Amino acid sequence: MSATTLPPPRRNHELAHLPTLLRRLALYSGVCTVVVIVGFPLFWMVIGSFKMKEELFLYPPSFLPRSWTLANYTELLSQTGFLTYFANSLIVAGGATLLALLFGALGAYSLARFRFRGVAWIARASLLAYMLPEVLLVLPLYVWVVELGLANTLFALIVSNTAFTLPLTLWFLRSYFAAIPASLEESAMIDGCTRMQAFRRVTLPLALPGVISVGVFAFNHSWNEFLFALVFTSSERLKVLPVGLATWIGQDHIYSWGMLLAGAVLITLPVVLFYLLVQQHLISGMSSGGVKGE
Amino acid sequence: MAAGAGALYRGDVRLAYLSLAPSAVLLLLLSFLPALAVLDLSLRSVETGESSGPFIGIENYLWALATPQFGRALVNSLVWTFGSVALEMVFGVGLALLLDQSFRLRGLARAAILAPYLVPTVVAVLTWRYMFHDIVGVLNWMLLSAGIVSQPVLWLNSPGSAMLAVILVGTWKFFPFVVLAILGILQAIPREQFEAARIDGASAWRRFRVITLPQIMPVFLLSAVLRIIWTFHKFDIIYLLTGGGPLEATTTLPVLVYQQGFVDMELGRAAAVAMITMAVLSCFLVVYFLLLRRSESRQ
Repeated sequence: MSATTLPPPRRNHELAHLPTLLRRLALYSGVCTVVVIVGFPLFWMVIGSFKMKEELFLYPPSFLPRSWTLANYTELLSQTGFLTYFANSLIVAGGATLLALLFGALGAYSLARFRFRGVAWIARASLLAYMLPEVLLVLPLYVWVVELGLANTLFALIVSNTAFTLPLTLWFLRSYFAAIPASLEESAMIDGCTRMQAFRRVTLPLALPGVISVGVFAFNHSWNEFLFALVFTSSERLKVLPVGLATWIGQDHIYSWGMLLAGAVLITLPVVLFYLLVQQHLISGMSSGGVKGE
Repeated sequence: MAAGAGALYRGDVRLAYLSLAPSAVLLLLLSFLPALAVLDLSLRSVETGESSGPFIGIENYLWALATPQFGRALVNSLVWTFGSVALEMVFGVGLALLLDQSFRLRGLARAAILAPYLVPTVVAVLTWRYMFHDIVGVLNWMLLSAGIVSQPVLWLNSPGSAMLAVILVGTWKFFPFVVLAILGILQAIPREQFEAARIDGASAWRRFRVITLPQIMPVFLLSAVLRIIWTFHKFDIIYLLTGGGPLEATTTLPVLVYQQGFVDMELGRAAAVAMITMAVLSCFLVVYFLLLRRSESRQ
């Protein structure tokens, strides 16, 4: 669009004086258009997962299924390794999240509360670590995984995912802990708590929403992670969801699309559940410094 | 942080180091030693599967600079990154301004617009590949029946449109990040400022330019740079959509690293490409850290 076609500022001025009703109408139709366009792919996925195989490739496409069917889901669960992939993904994402929360919460507390040599430096280093490209880390990590005999294990995936979940936790929880007044702990310590007790009984419960939010981000990251899983594991038994589904995409059989869409819906479910859990913390978390959330 | 300097806190240095130690060790082992190890690998002739190989100096880098694959991947990376991020910023800011208005069912509209960001990448890719299907895909059906195109578009299967298709999916998936960031700031602007400006007779455009724009600018820049960083080293979405094809039309630097390292089994060359990727990324990282320091000192 060239600069001359841009509406002159005057038009906005006029817009402000349009009757309120018209402006509301414009607002609502704008919002509706946007929601329909942005939401369409997901609508199409959910709808497709309930269509019969023949109907999935009907041309012109039918918008609502002519007959709703669960065949794609039952086939997916009974005839493929989907449940194994699901369990593997849970183990990997759960493991990487627990590791990150356990070490990260302690570390972040230390970064937020103590002043010693290198605090600011370590905090920056954790942010930098979070920004390192996966495709850079995968090369040396692959060499080490093979040398240590960890190739084709879920353990290798848990640990390598921690390369991203831990820095995320450190960075995010550091600011969360820093916002909780230290005086609360001090009074607990005057009342006879040790520092660790004060941390466990006073600060940690107050920081729980932050811990849960960052736990969700970390889980989501590992649930999505593709490259490490693709490179470090090869046996069917150890595939995680993204790799499992990616193999099917590669085969691209027309008849597998129904199952693929059903799989896509099922993978998204845990993410939606988690979203509902942390909805209100999401915006502040994102804006407080780099949460990729994927 | 000043609160942490209280008298009770000074004696606990040992505890501080102890609780930070596991994290520091993991950061070192999983992030910083690997970064050094890539440098070492890039200076050797190593096949994938072996742990090391003979030192060959900068030969892998010379190979990269000489091969046309590398140049194409660099250009593809820049097109992919700046194409997607530009679109994400435009739509992200536009929709944030729209969602900042008050209307019925705003929460629902927000959740719908956020959804692409939350769905796993593999899900986004699956859905779009289904929609991009050359013959029976719903996108081609829409474009054909609206008369916008006369022939089906070979979205992912022609070198001309593959990059466009990949950017389209990337933008759809990641613009909500910008919406979230900008919306967070917009909602923090006190409404009284707008009221006062309105009473003084400032037009909507003027209110936007004088009040809104300066306040969203720091977040706008930070999120643009963050998006550039993450888009530049994104691997999975492109690899899963096109595998880098057709005819290398969507082979970006990360895809090239993967192909060198795990298809051609040239770990040393892959490491050299990864190091160059990191060098380009470092420029963006420097800008990010500078912006971050500026916005932190302002708070």
